Amino acid sequence: MKTIFYFLVFPGFLFALIVGMVASYIERKVTARVQWRVGPPILQPWYDLLKLFTKESVVPENAHLLTFLATPVLFMVSATLVAMYAGMAFFFPDAAFQGDLIVIVYLLTIPPICLILAGAASANPLASLGASREIKLVLSYELVFWMTIAVIWVKTGGELSLVNIMNKPPVMYSYSGGIASVLALFVMQAKLGRVPFDIAEAETEIMAGAYIEYSGPLLGFFKMGQYILLATLPFFISSIFWGGVNVFKYVALLVIVILVENTNPRLKVKQCLKLFWFILFPLSLVALILAVVGL
Amino acid sequence: MVNKVKDILKGKIIKWEEKSSKRHYIEIDKKDLRSAAELLFRKLELRFCIATGLDNVKNMEVLYHFSDDKTGVVYSLRVFTDRDKGQIPSIADIIKGATWIEREMRELLGIEFTGAADTSRLLLDPTWPEGVYPLRKDYEYGRKEPRGEDSCRRPNIKIEELTKNGKKTKIIPIGPYHPLQEEPEFFELMVQGEKVIDLNINLGYNHRGIEKIAEGKHWDQVTFLVERICGICSCSHPYAYVNAVEDLLGLEIPLRAKYVRTVIAELERVHSHLLWLGLAGHFLGYNTVWMWAWKYRETVLDLCEQISGNRNHYAMMRIGGVRKDIFNSEIDAMKEKTASLVPIFDLFKGAVIDDPVIHARTKNIGVLSKEEAINYCVTGPTARPSGLDQDIRKIDILNGAYQLVEWDVIVCQNGDIFDKTVCRVLEMYESVKIITQCLDKLKGLKEGNIWEEVREIPPGEGIGRYEAPRGEVWHYVRSDGGNTPVRHKIRAPSYMNVLSNELAAVGGDVSDAAITLAAVDPCYCCTERMQAVENGNVKYNWEELLRLSEEKTKRLRGELR
Repeated sequence: MKTIFYFLVFPGFLFALIVGMVASYIERKVTARVQWRVGPPILQPWYDLLKLFTKESVVPENAHLLTFLATPVLFMVSATLVAMYAGMAFFFPDAAFQGDLIVIVYLLTIPPICLILAGAASANPLASLGASREIKLVLSYELVFWMTIAVIWVKTGGELSLVNIMNKPPVMYSYSGGIASVLALFVMQAKLGRVPFDIAEAETEIMAGAYIEYSGPLLGFFKMGQYILLATLPFFISSIFWGGVNVFKYVALLVIVILVENTNPRLKVKQCLKLFWFILFPLSLVALILAVVGL
Repeated sequence: MVNKVKDILKGKIIKWEEKSSKRHYIEIDKKDLRSAAELLFRKLELRFCIATGLDNVKNMEVLYHFSDDKTGVVYSLRVFTDRDKGQIPSIADIIKGATWIEREMRELLGIEFTGAADTSRLLLDPTWPEGVYPLRKDYEYGRKEPRGEDSCRRPNIKIEELTKNGKKTKIIPIGPYHPLQEEPEFFELMVQGEKVIDLNINLGYNHRGIEKIAEGKHWDQVTFLVERICGICSCSHPYAYVNAVEDLLGLEIPLRAKYVRTVIAELERVHSHLLWLGLAGHFLGYNTVWMWAWKYRETVLDLCEQISGNRNHYAMMRIGGVRKDIFNSEIDAMKEKTASLVPIFDLFKGAVIDDPVIHARTKNIGVLSKEEAINYCVTGPTARPSGLDQDIRKIDILNGAYQLVEWDVIVCQNGDIFDKTVCRVLEMYESVKIITQCLDKLKGLKEGNIWEEVREIPPGEGIGRYEAPRGEVWHYVRSDGGNTPVRHKIRAPSYMNVLSNELAAVGGDVSDAAITLAAVDPCYCCTERMQAVENGNVKYNWEELLRLSEEKTKRLRGELR
């Protein structure tokens, strides 16, 4: 019963969704203000969802039906699970368990996989191009992400529990932790699919890529998953690097995401791969060595 | 140069007409056309502008226009052929830029080009009946043709196609409804993975037959008609048209009119370049640049509104001068506003040109080499970044103030997207220079004398050109002394530039193709601020039009149920 509450209400689905919608509102409003526009009202994300769920979902004739229908739901559920585990460690430390760090990192790879499958199942050349770009994107950032997690693991003396990591002094106040936390910001930007890493959606090139054939409630599930990820990722990054979360830390991370988003053009997928593998990966290696040495 | 041309074409010339020092018409036999075109294009390095096909009823006439970009002289080769089943040798294999116009003349006038590799339709619908040529004199505008069952023109979107060497490729459609290019153009990118291996360009979704309409309009009405070719170039087309008519008349307009023309035309260039800069940012995913560029574009549009009363569609040009004057009392404020643009250009120069990610996205992308630029006969900010020093404003605008003020032509060397951006940004500085000087000079002139009275248009022909923001606009008019043009040939700059995409976009990624296709500067219409006016009173304003359209939507929705 308690688990269902954790999953559905707090800190899982409902809570994360509401936080995500507020975060999305902040993102859109700040972006609009930066661009000399007025921006949406605060309930806009809610209106968006409402609209999507009252509309019809069109399934393409040649699409693989089951995959096409299942992936949006899976996308949202996996995002919710991340929100639940990350939230539990913070709000209900007693209910958390050893090794939830690993579980979260694994769960975070499921949304991109859902997106890849969705794109491949859509039977649309633009969607398949979006899927192939998403694969390359995941391949680029995932390695760096694991390296930064390894830095945490070394710095905290082999801790794999979020609760214990948060109780230790923040990792970022060391050379290795500092580098790793900056790298984690890159990864966060890419995982959220924001500029300059919005390669897989690239509206002006491939028209939202994998999402192109989705409409109505199915797109709504994707949207909800994205809101939840937007709520969870800064929360998670802040927990493991900045020694816990509060409103200021969360908003600071959100502002970083928004600012980077608004001051950069989109990279190409090749350039993104080069950036992560040949520039950021060696850096993460340096961080790991520093961490092992004890700096 | 004139003597060189006479020398090189020796023995081929049937008749040499010198209409003015800058306009030469050379009649030759059609069997000599290929060699003559090759000599002019390759030996003398003249630029092929366009070909004009005319239906003289007794026969068909085709003019091939070549421009000398150093002196601004236009040499036109004139050939005749039979009206029925007329044949002219194709020159598309010599001059790549002639490919489209030959296809167009074939379908609109029914002239066969022998030896042409591509004879498919360019503009007409596939369901249009064979043997009906809409630009001939015996076809009246608006005549309905019987059509087959499947008569609506659907973009035939295929997902896969075989390439020339038999490999299967995916097709990525850009257009006709792709959000990248809101205009009715349709590019089919054939891709393998991310790499573009071939490009298919489809046109004609929005062909309105303006050349045909012009034949039914009074000389003065045509200025308004050609203004509606494009909302962004709404000053360049009338400018080129009045240049053409004034060339026919041999007329020089009052000095004040020259300055006014130049001011409004340069304001148009600035707003157009800002618009492009914003769109380029959008295509690269840099939406902040988009919004900022368009915000500052408002300043320019305000200036245009102050001068002409409209943000676009200025209706400033008339044959013999301009319609509206600039008030001397307003000039100081205008100069201040114009000067306020310079810090904005500095901002974009810094933000766009020094940004490392923009470098990564635009340098060495979509390169159009100098040789290919010559071969494809591109113009304007597509040609100048490739190292071609050509600007019509410097050489061939008699009735403009460009010879009276100081300014430079911006030429870059690499021909990539980055240079195209740099070229446009720097051109905006030059435009501001021109506008400021013109406004200064206007202040010293008395208000009022802004047009020459023109009553009759005598028989003859004239060529008018103007350097639009996108390149050379070309207008050719012929008069038989009546009150409408007998033939009005229009060539917009994109007609030459877009074809070069089949070279620039191939070989890059899909991401590169998106910005490369945009780098020749597609247009975008401005529908804001519409009002319906009847007898001088506002009948519907914007809100009411909105309400009307909402009501109609509701009604239609009800009917659908």
